[in-house]
Amino acid sequence: MIEINNLVKCYGKNKAVKGISFTVNDGEVLGFLGPNGAGKSTTMNIITGYLSSTSGTVKVNGHDILEEPEEAKKNIGYLPELPPLFLDMTVLEYLTFMSELKKVPKQGRKEHLAKIISMVKLTDVSDRLIGNLSKGYKQRVGIAQALIGDPAIIILDEPTVGLDPQQVIEIRKLIKFLAKNHTVILSSHILSEIQAVCDRVVIINKGKVAAIDTITDLAAKLSGNSKLLVAFKGQDKAAINALKAVPGVTDARTRIVSDGITELEIVIDPKKGGDVRSSIFYTFARNNWPIMEFRSLDPTLEEVFLNITNG
Amino acid sequence: MTAIYKREFFSYFRSPIGYVALALFTFLSSYWFSMYLFNRGAINLAQEIKAIRNYLILIVPIITMALFSEDKKRGTEVIYYTSPISLFNVVCGKFLAAMTLFAIMFVNIIIHMIITVNLGGIVNVGTWGSVIVYFFFAALFISIGTFASAITDSQLISAIVCFVILYVINMLTSIAGMVATGVQSLLSIFTDDPEKIRKVCDAVQNAILWLDPFSKTNDFVYGKFSIAPLVFCFSGTVVFIYLTYRVLEKKRWSQA
Repeated sequence: MIEINNLVKCYGKNKAVKGISFTVNDGEVLGFLGPNGAGKSTTMNIITGYLSSTSGTVKVNGHDILEEPEEAKKNIGYLPELPPLFLDMTVLEYLTFMSELKKVPKQGRKEHLAKIISMVKLTDVSDRLIGNLSKGYKQRVGIAQALIGDPAIIILDEPTVGLDPQQVIEIRKLIKFLAKNHTVILSSHILSEIQAVCDRVVIINKGKVAAIDTITDLAAKLSGNSKLLVAFKGQDKAAINALKAVPGVTDARTRIVSDGITELEIVIDPKKGGDVRSSIFYTFARNNWPIMEFRSLDPTLEEVFLNITNG
Repeated sequence: MTAIYKREFFSYFRSPIGYVALALFTFLSSYWFSMYLFNRGAINLAQEIKAIRNYLILIVPIITMALFSEDKKRGTEVIYYTSPISLFNVVCGKFLAAMTLFAIMFVNIIIHMIITVNLGGIVNVGTWGSVIVYFFFAALFISIGTFASAITDSQLISAIVCFVILYVINMLTSIAGMVATGVQSLLSIFTDDPEKIRKVCDAVQNAILWLDPFSKTNDFVYGKFSIAPLVFCFSGTVVFIYLTYRVLEKKRWSQA
């Protein structure tokens, strides 16, 4: 667990972080979002001990990063945006060096490294110089060093930046796999990535926490009520009357009628009717109105992000 | 610290730096050895080591220029800040790696000692005095080079800063003389008392010479040892190692 309390970081007169507080729970995958210069990387650097805060505290599994740095850092594996790699070493030499640095016991070190190398699929290149590897493999080596010592918390700063689509998919799969047994903080500008992987997101803007919640709840807060879109073959007025009788549906209106297909926007209040999608489906089925499309109209994470950071 | 030490030591031999430094030292020490042997017909190991000492201002910047500057440039310094080790251990590990390289260089002098003994010469107390001074000087100069490397992310600037500091130390005797002459000229404008001027000039000169490790250790070559110069070098080494640690620690608080 990471507890961040009223974190402030000043660079001279410039206040980069202005009293950030949040908690990352055990086993959680937390997305860390914010526009460039929002204080995202500074906060991550303070959490990992790379920077010291001007005021405020960071506790990693109960250990203060400033007062008990060695104990706190044992619990963290960190992949910065630029993986910290020694290009003149082979993959195995580098990971062995990192395991010595992270005080992995000599007994069982080989097995530990072999497990990580196999997990991040570096077996084929373990004897090659890091300087000769592709960007994707270098990123994997960076992730591998973050996993050494089996830290409870893994912090990944832009892990897929500059990778080709195939490599991005592979790294995402790896993050999802890691999320099963670790607490993960993931910073990325690729919002679909955050949406696909994270349980909760923290949005930082101008050095402050602008929002912190699950993506669904953030979207709901932004739109007030949830919205659904249904496209069907049938009359809109009859459908609207039928829908208004469904518990949880607060409103329904016509969006488009084209080529005999009607698009309706349905406003629902989840607090009243719970998940109303099956009720809506059966309403259309009973009336013999074939459904052509049925989807959520909730704001995407991108819309939520833009709304919060611009608003 | 062991991990840092091993990584840094072997990195000398993954790049040309270690080989260049070894070749330079071997060439210079062998040049002085053969010069004494063939031109003067007598080997003087103490003088050879003393002469080599003067070239440390060239060799030390080569060895220390990348110690921290390269990490900063490549972004690998983040490892030292985010791993469960103290920055002081990082500094000590890198310092000891550079010292080990110096010890390996010294093997060439040991070969010269063996040749000397085989040719019927002796390795006298003056020679051992020079050896002791050599290692204390190496420690002091490497600590200065380590410090120079920590204040910049450019190997070239690090090497230049280190070279300038070592050059000034090497020239302290001349600098003391020049400053004393300058002070004498200045004081002669204000007073006619030659005794007073002489006392002030001597005090200024002695103050500058107090910083000069070379003049303090001249007698070691003749077998006259004293502990004070060694304490001076050791204290200087500790001061520069501590300053390096403080520079790195400061980055944690100030870097953007």
